[in-house]
Amino acid sequence: MRRFLFIIALFAAGASAVAQTLNFPQQTGRVTDDAGILDASTRAALVQTLAALEARNTSQLFVATVKSLQGDSIEDYANRLFRQWGIGQKGTNNGVLLLVAPNERKVRIEVGYGLEGTLTDAQTKVIIENAIIPRFRAGDFPGGITRGVDNLVALMSNEAGAPPARPSFTLPNLTHDQMAFVWVGGFMFFWCLGVFFAMRNNMHHPHRYKPARHYSGSSSSSNWSSSSSDSSSSWSSSGSSSSSDSSFGGGGDSGGGGSSGSW
Amino acid sequence: MVGLLLGGCGINNIPSYEEAAKAKWSDVQNQYQRRADLIPNLVETVKGFAAQERNVLEAVTAARARATSITVSADMITDPEAMKKFQDAQAQLSSALGRLLAVSERYPDLKSNQNFLTLQSQIEGSENRIAVARRDYIEAVRAYNTELRTFPGVIWASTLYKSNKPMATFTTAEDVSRPPTVKF
Repeated sequence: MRRFLFIIALFAAGASAVAQTLNFPQQTGRVTDDAGILDASTRAALVQTLAALEARNTSQLFVATVKSLQGDSIEDYANRLFRQWGIGQKGTNNGVLLLVAPNERKVRIEVGYGLEGTLTDAQTKVIIENAIIPRFRAGDFPGGITRGVDNLVALMSNEAGAPPARPSFTLPNLTHDQMAFVWVGGFMFFWCLGVFFAMRNNMHHPHRYKPARHYSGSSSSSNWSSSSSDSSSSWSSSGSSSSSDSSFGGGGDSGGGGSSGSW
Repeated sequence: MVGLLLGGCGINNIPSYEEAAKAKWSDVQNQYQRRADLIPNLVETVKGFAAQERNVLEAVTAARARATSITVSADMITDPEAMKKFQDAQAQLSSALGRLLAVSERYPDLKSNQNFLTLQSQIEGSENRIAVARRDYIEAVRAYNTELRTFPGVIWASTLYKSNKPMATFTTAEDVSRPPTVKF
């Protein structure tokens, strides 16, 4: 029993080590103004533009401003935030994130997999350099963001219906053969379990062999399943996209497309 | 209930994580290949404006030839030796490329050339995609290697999947391939 607890403690330690070291701002919809550089009317106008875009062809453009990049590069931060929020629709990955870090004087347009053909790196670079940065240099954050969003929306609106999907990794559905394998494996598992306990028992108490006591202990088997479900949930939350706590993201993924700039 | 128990014992984890890591590795390869594909065009463009920088241009071409000649298939990612060779070749290409972009700064005509600017932002984007693909691969390998060594995966590793070996990951710092900054 003590060994089981130890093993569970190991799993818990692993899961917490995986947990994000970055703190992302709480998402407040399509526009998340954590740095507080947008006035209410600009915000409302932006939200309206972005909602209209999504209604048109399901592609999502989110705007985020952050107080701090927490020592990370804007490229890395933007990609992690994009995946955390799951911007774009699952499967089509048609999301874009416009991230502004006014304190670091950095801006990035992160493009989801599905829109890499519509919004090339060069196009996003031109938008950043021509539409956004000149206004940011003059201290006009609402103007720069609005202009950048307008340019992005113009390009993204050309995108008809469904952009080419990029298959994201999911656990494979089981075929009949695999199911058979699972059944055989399951049988072997319980057989191994029996051998394992029998051997352990023999080693520790050679003269007191009572296998029934171990099999009847339901706590041990529930520990097993709970410990491994811990590990699988930590895998999925550190995996490609976790959109469980985002209210608007459709589960899109990004591989670092887009470009960044500073002023 | 039975499905839950069977899933809970994690018999599928090792092959699943293995396939995931292999898929991530092919992403890494693709992104490096994408960068390599951009280079001949970049070299040609720079040559048009700064032909006298022959040393730098030749270094990039040579580093690219070397880097593209070393490929690591998904079956070879358990071989740290092969991984190291691949990494070293790509790191050399990164630094040669960095020098080329630094040299380009000295040529105003080149810097304002539209073709060059496009290529430069593509290279920058490519470097960033490489960084993301590397990060994803490292994470996938971590999950796979952990599964091989921890309970309950270790039971399957020592019985059903005896031939599964831990995978090698990147050892050089990611800073080597930090995207070069582009000024317009």
